[in-house]
Amino acid sequence: MTPARKLLLKKILAHSLLIAFVVIVLSPFAMVVTASFRKGNFAPSKILLQPQELSLEHWKYVLGIPYKEVINPTTGETRTIQAGSPPLVWLWNSIKVSGAATIGIILLSGTAAYAFSRIRFTFRRPLLTGLLILQMFPAVLMLVAYHTILDDVGQTVRSLGLNTHPGLILVYLGGISTNIWMIKGYFDTIPASMEESARIDGASHFQAFLRVLLPMSLPIFAVVFILSFIFFMTEYPIASVVLTNTDTYTLAVGAYSFLGEQEKLWGRFAALAVLSGVPITVIFLLCQKFVIGGLVSGGVKE
Amino acid sequence: MASKNETPEYKVKMSEAPVEIKNLVKTYVDDRGRPTFTAVKDISLHIENGEFMVLVGPSGCGKSTTLRMVAGLEKVTSGTISIGDRVVNDLEPKDRGIAMVFQNYALYPHMTIFNNMAFGLQLAKKKKDFIQDTVGRTAKALGLDKMLERKPQALSGGQRQRVALGRAIVRHPQVFLFDEPLSNLDAKMRVQMRAEISKLHAQLGNTMIYVTHDQVEAMTMGDRICVMRDGLIMQVADPLTLYRQPNNLFVAGFIGGPPMNLLKGKVERREGGLTFIEDGDKDKGALVVPLKGSAENAAAKLVNKNVVFGIRPEHITNEPTDGTYVPVKSSVEIAEPMGSESLVYMKAGTGNLIARIHGEHLFTLGEPITVQLNMDKATLFDAETEQVVR
Repeated sequence: MTPARKLLLKKILAHSLLIAFVVIVLSPFAMVVTASFRKGNFAPSKILLQPQELSLEHWKYVLGIPYKEVINPTTGETRTIQAGSPPLVWLWNSIKVSGAATIGIILLSGTAAYAFSRIRFTFRRPLLTGLLILQMFPAVLMLVAYHTILDDVGQTVRSLGLNTHPGLILVYLGGISTNIWMIKGYFDTIPASMEESARIDGASHFQAFLRVLLPMSLPIFAVVFILSFIFFMTEYPIASVVLTNTDTYTLAVGAYSFLGEQEKLWGRFAALAVLSGVPITVIFLLCQKFVIGGLVSGGVKE
Repeated sequence: MASKNETPEYKVKMSEAPVEIKNLVKTYVDDRGRPTFTAVKDISLHIENGEFMVLVGPSGCGKSTTLRMVAGLEKVTSGTISIGDRVVNDLEPKDRGIAMVFQNYALYPHMTIFNNMAFGLQLAKKKKDFIQDTVGRTAKALGLDKMLERKPQALSGGQRQRVALGRAIVRHPQVFLFDEPLSNLDAKMRVQMRAEISKLHAQLGNTMIYVTHDQVEAMTMGDRICVMRDGLIMQVADPLTLYRQPNNLFVAGFIGGPPMNLLKGKVERREGGLTFIEDGDKDKGALVVPLKGSAENAAAKLVNKNVVFGIRPEHITNEPTDGTYVPVKSSVEIAEPMGSESLVYMKAGTGNLIARIHGEHLFTLGEPITVQLNMDKATLFDAETEQVVR
């Protein structure tokens, strides 16, 4: 075999391997998308649909648009269906909760990371290690505790109790330790002379943090923002325990409610699942430009 | 770059600001406040108003720590620092009347050059016109006026350091602090910036404290130089005094390039005169040098004691002389011709002697050479205390 043919063969092999991998990754997603456009309620199983199988009924339901459904094929009798608690409300709930929790996470972990990175205080090390160890226990283990705590809190502060979004956000804010570690790692790479020079220029600790360190750390904050947002948008276990009222559901809880014991409304579930990807995609596109290297280069020379 | 003809209008003169450091100690502590390392060990130093003081020494000698304590970036463990007539120990950096230029420039990468320079004035809530005017004039004097809207990333190393300089100037400080500002520049740029900083000092007349590990920078820029080692001051003097009369072995070896030849040995009385005898095997050519001139006077206090004999490469010549010169026979081991002079590494005694030989001459390897040591310029140190004996 000539070297050229050998190379060609290698390329073909590599590409087919990669394409196979892409197919494996994308096909479940494609199946869900298909299921959302398929007439009737079938579990995701096909990737391609026949034209007569196509229907927008699930999307109409999910978007709260009334539509007619044939209930008796022989007489042609129809009924109008409209979602009682429109799934769009759930989407809005999800965006609210995720947005607020993410902003809270950024504020808390950003300031905590600053302290851990720049200020020397007693028990700094043990605290950092403690955060890491705490994070090793899955949050699901604490579900019961969360429920009890929120129940108790709700007795005195109504707006922080069970079935409220602030309550859920409060629980979410507990999961900041990995973010603290991530942001601290980034802060550690920024030379201390940046803030020192700001302090000589007359900035307070907080001004140095806000006007020098923070703008230089945009990439890591963008990453934390995206990851947290995605996590909260899709989080199910905690939300399902805290939120029991249909009106307060987040998208993940709401979507799961379509898969009841008796009736599994796969079509609606699929449509909702695809819909939940929309805000995530928007957030990602907005933050993407900050997630670039070289943002801080030029200020110092090592 | 500032044009050579016009005088840059930097600022009006500030009030007098001598810097007084008294019994300064810095001990670092860990997270729990336990002492780990003492970087500065009880130093006292007076810096005159308008003086250009250079702190020089090898890494870890405490020079940067001292500067950072003056700046207010490190807490003082004990002792006092005064600027002007104020003790500044507990003042915030911004209230000390200082400005600092860092080794890594420490420019704010997300701000334009204008904002980098204006940041301090903006924080001080100065009027917009005033900021515009001050930054504009300073930038012009530094030759940065065409790049005020750019970000630091778009500037060369020399330009960035000039921005850092400008940022310090616009604050109108009483005292300028420099922490190895030229270390990150290439050799050519370094020489140029060296001259610019010296010029700046001449124009502003401010007190300046300059930290470097480079003895050439120290010698060329400083009104006075403070040589430090292991958190202690070894000697404070003007450049020429340091060069001519080092107080101890460390200063002798640190100042001057190539460094002073230092030979270990003993002083003995022989044939009526005092003689330096190098340690080591006589058969292998250990040096035996009769001491004359000022070296002889010093040696009288060191008879039969272990000493270090020091002579600078510049004070070894190959021209026939008499008087206080002593001849040494040797051979060339390595020669570095530099044009008008050559650095000659000679096999002499148990080690090497470096000589700076004048004249345009090419030496060949192994060439026999007889050099004359100028004994009036030789220095003797007590080997135990490492102090000079005069």
